[in-house]
Order: sequence, then structure tokens, then C-alpha cells
Amino acid sequence: MLTEGVSLIDSRSDRVVMEPNPTYWNPARRPTVRIVYDNVIGKAEGIKSVAAGDGRVDVVFDLTPDEAKGFPASDKGRIQTKKAKTILTGVFNENRPESPWRDPEVRKALNLAIDRRAILDQGAHGYGTVIPAFIQPGRYGADPGMTPLPHDPQAAKAVLEKAGLGGRDLVFVSSPAWKGVVEAIGRNLAEIGLSARFVSDRGDLPDDFDVKLEWYFDWTPQYPVACVHREFFGKDATLRQGPEDPAFDALYDKLLHATGEDVEGVTREVERYVQDRSKALFLYSPFTLFAVSDRVAFTAYDTCMSELAETRIKG
Amino acid sequence: MDAQATGDPGGGQPWGPHNTVTVVDPSPVNWLSITWNTMEEANRVDHDGIGQPSLAESWRWLDGETLELTMREAVYQDGEPFNAAMFKLGFDKVQEWTNPHPPGAFLNFARDVTCEAVDDRTVRMRFPGGDSAALMKLRGMHLPSTRFWNEWGFVDPKTGSAEGHW
Repeated sequence: MLTEGVSLIDSRSDRVVMEPNPTYWNPARRPTVRIVYDNVIGKAEGIKSVAAGDGRVDVVFDLTPDEAKGFPASDKGRIQTKKAKTILTGVFNENRPESPWRDPEVRKALNLAIDRRAILDQGAHGYGTVIPAFIQPGRYGADPGMTPLPHDPQAAKAVLEKAGLGGRDLVFVSSPAWKGVVEAIGRNLAEIGLSARFVSDRGDLPDDFDVKLEWYFDWTPQYPVACVHREFFGKDATLRQGPEDPAFDALYDKLLHATGEDVEGVTREVERYVQDRSKALFLYSPFTLFAVSDRVAFTAYDTCMSELAETRIKG
Repeated sequence: MDAQATGDPGGGQPWGPHNTVTVVDPSPVNWLSITWNTMEEANRVDHDGIGQPSLAESWRWLDGETLELTMREAVYQDGEPFNAAMFKLGFDKVQEWTNPHPPGAFLNFARDVTCEAVDDRTVRMRFPGGDSAALMKLRGMHLPSTRFWNEWGFVDPKTGSAEGHW
């Protein structure tokens, strides 16, 4: 039961307090502790508190790879990782009719130009998994026959030069959390005579950007296309940076009207379509990262939600 | 969706650091986590990202357009029993609004979807034309007690509307 505070889309109080319900019907999820969301202390201070074991903070969510890597040696707290249902992907700027990124072959060429494993290792300290497109292998809707696009810089170079992109300084807009990823992409691009320029997404989106990195997550019960793929490419997508794609919308409509096992089959079809058309610059699936005090037992959710019913104080 | 304080239940055990877990969640959607910590739905998603029954203990498609759910026997924290009528109330409430969900219209039930409480534990929903996203949408349809609806609801006091506020 929520007993203090609010958390709204546009505002939140200094703290939100939730009391456990001792009569909850499911013993496996019956809470035993009071939860306080501290909205004042801030992430950096929270991480310090967990490492110091001063008792002010027990769990910090959404650490960046740099924050996790920089977590101090401590016998009071630790970094927990979760292979959650996430993607980090690049949205091509197809807003202008003359944009080269409207050509699937050019989009594919930029995909071939990058070494995903190296980008993950160098740009995010290895906290993630390279995946073919938007769905992790083994998850609902993953196509067992799909593999990540290969690293083929020479093939990439030929296509990009033909498209007039030879020697270009490509503009990548992203959260500062992914600056290291953009820098790692830049090292790949340097191999074929291009470069990558990081622009923070904290300012206005420049008209002339090439790729915008987006982190996204799937909270659904086995329905990833509505939550993730649609959000990038659907007619009502909030992350789309270009014209509508009637072929994608037709696939989505097909999915909505599928029944039984056909639902997963069409989900795979959508995933293949997205990769076949190189609809995005596919990067990897980031782990979710937490700083956790040793006084608590905390199990993260693949949905990336901070659900805390099972969180316990040890001992 | 949003979450608001609904009043201290009172009479509880004394709280202190020994039984309090303090978290810092900077996510812009922590309102969604808090909602899912304090509300319950027909179904949920477990640690491994797999859908699970929650206030509905089971469901089955009777045909391509008809979903039948069997509700769990449960009691709200304020003592009110949960039953099929409470599910129907939650459905009727969400359908009052054109676009109630902040994440977007993809979570909306079509206007011609109907919901019937067949008996205390059985709900039958009809989706004309079918809707394979039905269970995903149910994950976003909260099923609070009558007290919540009467005293709070999802209506934003500033605007008097629950559009985009569910």
C-alpha cells in the first residue's frame, strides 16, 4: 500500500513510501519490508551510500556502464547485473526526403561497418549481449535462424562512398550514458575513412543528425512487437525519425489478428523484416545494472521495472 | 497510470531502518514501477520476463474473439473481496477514457470490446475481429478496490481528466 508521496509523469515528491500488505494472497510475493523511494539523494550519492554501507540507501537502479565499472571495492555492497529485455539501437534520420538513410542498402552498410562485440566491450565494459535485431535469442519471438549482421568494413565502405557519405563526420545523438558507445563506433568508422561525432540528447535535436541512439525495454507478457518494434517503426511510433512504413504497419496489423501459435510466428516475421530492411543500427542488449547493499536480497526483473515485493532484508 | 498516497493503514508495527529498504530509482518511468508495486492486474510478468496469472488464475480463448478468465479468490488490503465484478468495474473505468495510458494508444481496448461478469469468478471478454494483444493490454488494466475508485481514481486533480493518466 502506498502511504506517502506521489510519482507522476511530470513530478514526484521527495519520497514515496510503500507499506507491505501482510495479507497478500500470494505467499511467494508477500512483502516483508517497507519500501522508500528516495527521490532527493540522487544516483551518485546513492551509489556512494551503498558502497559505504551507511544505511541511507540499499538499492540504486539504472547505473550506467561507467558507474558500474567505477563502483568502489566494498564489503558493504556490490554491483548486480540483469540480462533484461532491453535494446540499445540507432535510429536513422530519415526525416528529409533526400536522406541517404532512406535507402536500406545504405542503412545495412553502416550496420556492416561496426563491430558490435568491440563496441560493447570498449564502449560499455562488456555489460550486455550482442543480439541480431530487437529480440534476444531464446526469448519469445526470437528467430533461431537469425544472427547479428557481420562486421564487413570493406563492403560497408563501398556502399557508403557510393551514397556520397565517404569521409563524412557522422553525427550521433545520444544520452551521455552512451558516449563511450559512440566513441567506439567512431573507432570502427575510422577504419573506413569516416568518423562519429557525439552530440548529447540533453539539448535540441539537430536537424542534420545521422543516427540517434535509443535505449528501450520490453515490459510485456510475450508481446514485444507492440511495445518495442511499434514504438520505433509503427504509424504511432514516438521514436520514428522518418516517414511511415506501410509494410511494417501491415505486419503489425497481421500480428494483431493472429491467433494461437501464429502470434509467435508473425512476431518472428516482424523481427526478420526489421533486420532484412536494416531498419535500425543494431547495437546490443544492455544489461540493467544495480548497486545493491549487502544487507538486502534483491532480485531484478527482466522487464526493467523496480518491482520490489520479493526484496528482503537478510538475516 | 500514476500512483498516489491512499492513507496510512494505521495500527502497524513500528518502522525503522531495521525493516525499511530505501531505493533510488532515477528512471523517468518509476511511476510505472510504483503503480505495479501497489496495484494488481489480471496477469503480470515474472523475473524472467514471462507472463503469469495474477488476479486471474487462468484464462482461455473460447474462440478467436472470446477470452474467458477465471478470477482468483482474494481480498483487498482494505478488506473488500475481489471478484469478477471488480474486474468488470476496472474495465468499465478504463473504457471511460479515449486514451488513458501514458505509454500510448496501443494499450487501448477497441471501443466495441465488451466485458461480462458471468458469475463471481468468471469474466468473458469479446474482441470483435480478434486481438492477439489482449493479454498485454490486461497487464496495463489495474484492478483496485472500490475505495480507490471512490476516493482517488486515476483522474488528475489539476485537469479533472484521466486521459493519459491511467
